[in-house]
Amino acid sequence: MGERTNDQWLADLRGPNPDQALADLYELLVRGLGAGLGSYGGGAGASAGDFAQEALIRITANLDSFRGESRFTTWAQKIAMNVALTELKRRRWRDVSLQELSARRETANREPADTQPSPEQQALQSTVLRELRRLVDEELTERQREAVVAVLLEGMPISEVARRMGTNQNALYKLLHDARRKLKRRMEDAGISSREVLAAFDEG
Amino acid sequence: MEVGEKTMMLKRGDVAKLARVVAETREDEIGCDECFARLDRFAEAELSGSEARSLMPLVGDHLDKCPDCRGTFEALLAALRGT
Ligand SMILES: [Zn+2]
Repeated sequence: MGERTNDQWLADLRGPNPDQALADLYELLVRGLGAGLGSYGGGAGASAGDFAQEALIRITANLDSFRGESRFTTWAQKIAMNVALTELKRRRWRDVSLQELSARRETANREPADTQPSPEQQALQSTVLRELRRLVDEELTERQREAVVAVLLEGMPISEVARRMGTNQNALYKLLHDARRKLKRRMEDAGISSREVLAAFDEG
Repeated sequence: MEVGEKTMMLKRGDVAKLARVVAETREDEIGCDECFARLDRFAEAELSGSEARSLMPLVGDHLDKCPDCRGTFEALLAALRGT
Protein backbone atom coordinates (compact mmCIF):
# COMPACT_ATOMS: atom_id res chain seq x y z
CA MET A 1 0.00 0.00 0.00
CA GLY A 2 1.33 3.44 -0.84
CA GLU A 3 2.35 5.42 2.21
CA ARG A 4 0.58 8.73 2.49
CA THR A 5 1.31 11.60 4.80
CA ASN A 6 -1.55 12.93 6.90
CA ASP A 7 -2.02 15.81 4.48
CA GLN A 8 -2.14 13.43 1.52
CA TRP A 9 -4.76 11.28 3.21
CA LEU A 10 -6.91 14.33 3.89
CA ALA A 11 -6.42 15.74 0.40
CA ASP A 12 -7.20 12.41 -1.26
CA LEU A 13 -10.28 11.75 0.84
CA ARG A 14 -11.60 15.25 0.30
CA GLY A 15 -10.62 15.37 -3.36
CA PRO A 16 -12.70 14.69 -6.43
CA ASN A 17 -11.50 11.07 -6.74
CA PRO A 18 -11.38 9.55 -3.27
CA ASP A 19 -11.96 5.97 -4.41
CA GLN A 20 -8.35 4.75 -4.22
CA ALA A 21 -7.81 6.32 -0.81
CA LEU A 22 -11.09 4.84 0.43
CA ALA A 23 -10.11 1.40 -0.84
CA ASP A 24 -6.67 1.62 0.78
CA LEU A 25 -8.14 2.80 4.05
CA TYR A 26 -10.77 0.07 4.00
CA GLU A 27 -8.10 -2.57 3.53
CA LEU A 28 -6.04 -1.14 6.37
CA LEU A 29 -9.04 -1.03 8.70
CA VAL A 30 -9.99 -4.63 7.95
CA ARG A 31 -6.46 -5.78 8.71
CA GLY A 32 -6.36 -3.67 11.87
CA LEU A 33 -9.70 -5.03 13.05
CA GLY A 34 -8.51 -8.57 12.43
CA ALA A 35 -5.40 -7.97 14.52
CA GLY A 36 -7.14 -5.92 17.18
CA LEU A 37 -10.15 -8.15 17.74
CA GLY A 38 -8.25 -11.42 17.43
CA SER A 39 -9.08 -12.59 20.92
CA TYR A 40 -12.62 -11.27 20.99
CA GLY A 41 -14.59 -14.09 19.38
CA GLY A 42 -18.31 -13.80 18.87
CA GLY A 43 -18.02 -13.49 15.10
CA ALA A 44 -15.74 -10.45 15.42
CA GLY A 45 -13.51 -11.52 12.54
CA ALA A 46 -16.40 -12.31 10.24
CA SER A 47 -17.85 -8.85 10.80
CA ALA A 48 -14.59 -6.94 10.18
CA GLY A 49 -15.73 -5.86 6.71
CA ASP A 50 -19.00 -4.48 8.05
CA PHE A 51 -17.26 -2.65 10.87
CA ALA A 52 -14.71 -1.16 8.46
CA GLN A 53 -17.50 0.00 6.16
CA GLU A 54 -19.35 1.63 9.03
CA ALA A 55 -16.13 3.21 10.28
CA LEU A 56 -15.36 4.64 6.82
CA ILE A 57 -18.67 6.47 6.84
CA ARG A 58 -17.93 7.92 10.24
CA ILE A 59 -14.34 8.81 9.33
CA THR A 60 -15.21 10.64 6.13
CA ALA A 61 -18.02 12.51 7.89
CA ASN A 62 -15.65 13.66 10.64
CA LEU A 63 -12.44 14.54 8.82
CA ASP A 64 -12.62 18.05 10.25
CA SER A 65 -12.31 16.70 13.77
CA PHE A 66 -8.92 15.06 13.02
CA ARG A 67 -6.50 17.27 14.93
CA GLY A 68 -3.32 15.92 13.40
CA GLU A 69 -1.95 14.81 16.77
CA SER A 70 -1.24 11.31 15.52
CA ARG A 71 -0.88 9.56 12.21
CA PHE A 72 -4.12 9.77 10.29
CA THR A 73 -4.28 5.99 10.07
CA THR A 74 -4.00 5.67 13.87
CA TRP A 75 -6.91 8.04 14.26
CA ALA A 76 -8.90 6.09 11.68
CA GLN A 77 -8.16 2.75 13.37
CA LYS A 78 -9.25 4.20 16.69
CA ILE A 79 -12.64 5.02 15.21
CA ALA A 80 -12.94 1.60 13.61
CA MET A 81 -12.15 -0.09 16.92
CA ASN A 82 -14.78 1.99 18.66
CA VAL A 83 -17.41 1.06 16.07
CA ALA A 84 -16.53 -2.62 16.34
CA LEU A 85 -16.37 -2.86 20.13
CA THR A 86 -19.58 -0.93 20.67
CA GLU A 87 -21.37 -3.44 18.46
CA LEU A 88 -19.60 -6.48 19.91
CA LYS A 89 -20.47 -5.44 23.45
CA ARG A 90 -24.06 -4.97 22.37
CA ARG A 91 -24.16 -8.49 20.94
CA ARG A 92 -22.52 -10.08 23.94
CA TRP A 93 -24.84 -8.42 26.48
CA ARG A 94 -27.96 -8.45 24.33
CA ASP A 95 -29.94 -10.79 26.56
CA VAL A 96 -29.10 -9.22 29.91
CA SER A 97 -31.42 -6.65 31.46
CA LEU A 98 -30.60 -4.48 34.45
CA GLN A 99 -33.60 -5.90 36.31
CA GLU A 100 -32.30 -9.39 35.79
CA LEU A 101 -28.88 -8.33 36.96
CA SER A 102 -30.16 -7.08 40.30
CA ALA A 103 -32.50 -10.05 40.70
CA ARG A 104 -29.56 -12.35 40.17
CA ARG A 105 -27.67 -10.52 42.91
CA GLU A 106 -30.30 -11.27 45.54
CA THR A 107 -29.74 -14.99 45.19
CA ALA A 108 -26.06 -15.11 44.36
CA ASN A 109 -23.90 -16.43 47.13
CA ARG A 110 -20.85 -14.31 47.68
CA GLU A 111 -18.37 -15.75 50.10
CA PRO A 112 -15.77 -13.58 51.74
CA ALA A 113 -12.16 -14.06 50.70
CA ASP A 114 -10.40 -17.09 52.09
CA THR A 115 -7.50 -15.15 53.51
CA GLN A 116 -7.49 -14.59 57.25
CA PRO A 117 -7.29 -10.88 58.02
CA SER A 118 -5.57 -9.64 61.16
CA PRO A 119 -7.81 -8.52 64.05
CA GLU A 120 -7.09 -4.85 63.28
CA GLN A 121 -7.89 -5.44 59.65
CA GLN A 122 -11.12 -7.19 60.61
CA ALA A 123 -12.21 -4.27 62.76
CA LEU A 124 -11.42 -1.83 59.96
CA GLN A 125 -13.29 -3.99 57.46
CA SER A 126 -16.40 -3.98 59.65
CA THR A 127 -16.28 -0.20 59.92
CA VAL A 128 -15.86 0.26 56.17
CA LEU A 129 -18.56 -2.31 55.50
CA ARG A 130 -21.07 -0.59 57.77
CA GLU A 131 -20.29 2.93 56.52
CA LEU A 132 -20.30 2.09 52.82
CA ARG A 133 -23.58 0.21 53.08
CA ARG A 134 -25.16 3.15 54.84
CA LEU A 135 -23.73 5.74 52.42
CA VAL A 136 -24.79 3.81 49.33
CA ASP A 137 -28.35 3.62 50.62
CA GLU A 138 -28.57 7.15 51.96
CA GLU A 139 -26.40 9.28 49.70
CA LEU A 140 -26.64 7.86 46.19
CA THR A 141 -29.52 8.46 43.80
CA GLU A 142 -31.47 5.54 42.41
CA ARG A 143 -29.72 5.91 39.05
CA GLN A 144 -26.32 6.04 40.70
CA ARG A 145 -27.07 2.86 42.64
CA GLU A 146 -28.26 1.14 39.49
CA ALA A 147 -25.09 2.11 37.63
CA VAL A 148 -22.84 1.16 40.55
CA VAL A 149 -24.33 -2.33 40.68
CA ALA A 150 -24.23 -2.96 36.95
CA VAL A 151 -20.80 -1.49 36.16
CA LEU A 152 -18.71 -1.60 39.32
CA LEU A 153 -20.07 -4.76 40.91
CA GLU A 154 -21.34 -6.84 37.98
CA GLY A 155 -18.80 -5.76 35.39
CA MET A 156 -21.24 -4.84 32.66
CA PRO A 157 -19.78 -2.50 30.00
CA ILE A 158 -20.49 1.18 30.60
CA SER A 159 -21.76 1.58 27.03
CA GLU A 160 -24.33 -1.18 27.55
CA VAL A 161 -25.57 0.12 30.88
CA ALA A 162 -25.80 3.59 29.33
CA ARG A 163 -27.92 2.24 26.49
CA ARG A 164 -30.34 0.65 28.96
CA MET A 165 -30.52 3.78 31.09
CA GLY A 166 -31.23 6.03 28.12
CA THR A 167 -27.94 7.92 28.21
CA ASN A 168 -24.49 7.69 26.63
CA GLN A 169 -21.17 6.23 27.76
CA ASN A 170 -19.55 9.56 28.61
CA ALA A 171 -22.51 10.73 30.69
CA LEU A 172 -22.70 7.44 32.54
CA TYR A 173 -18.99 7.53 33.37
CA LYS A 174 -19.56 11.02 34.80
CA LEU A 175 -22.54 9.80 36.81
CA LEU A 176 -20.41 7.02 38.27
CA HIS A 177 -17.59 9.45 38.93
CA ASP A 178 -19.98 11.70 40.86
CA ALA A 179 -21.15 8.70 42.86
CA ARG A 180 -17.60 7.58 43.68
CA ARG A 181 -16.57 11.12 44.64
CA LYS A 182 -19.53 11.49 46.93
CA LEU A 183 -18.84 8.18 48.65
CA LYS A 184 -15.18 9.09 49.05
CA ARG A 185 -15.95 12.48 50.61
CA ARG A 186 -18.54 11.04 52.96
CA MET A 187 -16.13 8.29 54.01
CA GLU A 188 -13.57 10.95 54.81
CA ASP A 189 -16.22 12.94 56.70
CA ALA A 190 -16.79 9.79 58.74
CA GLY A 191 -13.08 9.76 59.56
CA ILE A 192 -12.10 6.91 57.25
CA SER A 193 -9.21 7.76 54.94
CA SER A 194 -8.61 6.18 51.54
CA ARG A 195 -5.39 4.74 52.83
CA GLU A 196 -7.25 2.96 55.62
CA VAL A 197 -9.89 1.71 53.20
CA LEU A 198 -7.25 0.18 50.96
CA ALA A 199 -5.43 -1.29 53.94
CA ALA A 200 -8.65 -2.86 55.22
CA PHE A 201 -9.06 -4.97 52.09
CA ASP A 202 -5.44 -5.45 51.17
CA GLU A 203 -4.98 -9.17 50.68
CA GLY A 204 -1.23 -9.07 50.37
CA MET B 1 -38.83 -4.61 52.36
CA GLU B 2 -41.54 -2.05 51.77
CA VAL B 3 -42.78 -1.39 48.30
CA GLY B 4 -40.61 1.22 46.64
CA GLU B 5 -37.89 0.96 49.20
CA LYS B 6 -34.56 0.18 47.66
CA THR B 7 -31.54 -1.09 49.48
CA MET B 8 -28.63 -2.59 47.70
CA MET B 9 -27.82 -5.48 49.99
CA LEU B 10 -24.11 -5.07 49.57
CA LYS B 11 -22.27 -8.26 50.33
CA ARG B 12 -18.84 -8.40 51.81
CA GLY B 13 -17.16 -9.00 48.45
CA ASP B 14 -19.07 -6.07 46.94
CA VAL B 15 -17.90 -3.78 49.66
CA ALA B 16 -14.29 -4.78 49.13
CA LYS B 17 -14.67 -4.03 45.42
CA LEU B 18 -16.50 -0.78 45.98
CA ALA B 19 -14.17 0.36 48.75
CA ARG B 20 -11.22 0.00 46.43
CA VAL B 21 -12.68 2.01 43.53
CA VAL B 22 -13.91 4.68 45.93
CA ALA B 23 -10.47 4.98 47.52
CA GLU B 24 -8.85 5.33 44.10
CA THR B 25 -11.28 8.04 42.96
CA ARG B 26 -9.79 11.45 42.12
CA GLU B 27 -11.49 14.78 41.66
CA ASP B 28 -9.89 15.49 38.29
CA GLU B 29 -10.81 12.37 36.30
CA ILE B 30 -11.58 12.90 32.62
CA GLY B 31 -14.57 11.33 30.87
CA CYS B 32 -14.74 8.81 28.03
CA ASP B 33 -15.07 11.45 25.30
CA GLU B 34 -11.94 13.25 26.34
CA CYS B 35 -10.05 9.98 26.72
CA PHE B 36 -11.16 8.88 23.25
CA ALA B 37 -10.11 12.21 21.73
CA ARG B 38 -6.56 11.65 23.00
CA LEU B 39 -6.35 7.89 22.60
CA ASP B 40 -4.59 7.88 19.20
CA ARG B 41 -1.77 10.06 20.51
CA PHE B 42 -1.55 8.03 23.70
CA ALA B 43 -1.34 4.77 21.75
CA GLU B 44 1.44 6.09 19.52
CA ALA B 45 3.38 7.33 22.53
CA GLU B 46 2.99 3.91 24.13
CA LEU B 47 4.21 2.13 20.98
CA SER B 48 7.19 4.42 20.50
CA GLY B 49 8.34 3.58 24.01
CA SER B 50 7.94 7.10 25.33
CA GLU B 51 6.26 7.48 28.69
CA ALA B 52 2.65 7.80 27.59
CA ARG B 53 1.44 7.77 31.17
CA SER B 54 3.69 10.57 32.34
CA LEU B 55 2.90 12.63 29.23
CA MET B 56 -0.85 12.09 29.60
CA PRO B 57 -1.50 11.00 33.19
CA LEU B 58 -5.24 11.66 33.09
CA VAL B 59 -5.66 9.40 30.06
CA GLY B 60 -3.67 6.70 31.84
CA ASP B 61 -5.83 7.13 34.94
CA HIS B 62 -9.03 6.90 32.90
CA LEU B 63 -7.80 3.72 31.22
CA ASP B 64 -7.20 2.21 34.67
CA LYS B 65 -10.76 3.02 35.71
CA CYS B 66 -12.84 2.56 32.58
CA PRO B 67 -13.08 -0.98 31.20
CA ASP B 68 -14.73 0.23 27.99
CA CYS B 69 -11.96 2.64 27.06
CA ARG B 70 -9.31 0.17 28.19
CA GLY B 71 -10.79 -2.40 25.80
CA THR B 72 -10.67 0.07 22.93
CA PHE B 73 -7.10 1.01 23.79
CA GLU B 74 -5.87 -2.57 23.95
CA ALA B 75 -7.54 -3.47 20.67
CA LEU B 76 -6.08 -0.35 19.06
CA LEU B 77 -2.59 -1.26 20.25
CA ALA B 78 -2.97 -4.76 18.83
CA ALA B 79 -4.24 -3.31 15.54
CA LEU B 80 -1.31 -0.91 15.27
CA ARG B 81 1.17 -3.67 16.05
CA GLY B 82 -0.47 -5.91 13.46
CA THR B 83 -0.65 -3.49 10.52
ZN1 LIG C 1 -14.09 5.56 29.34
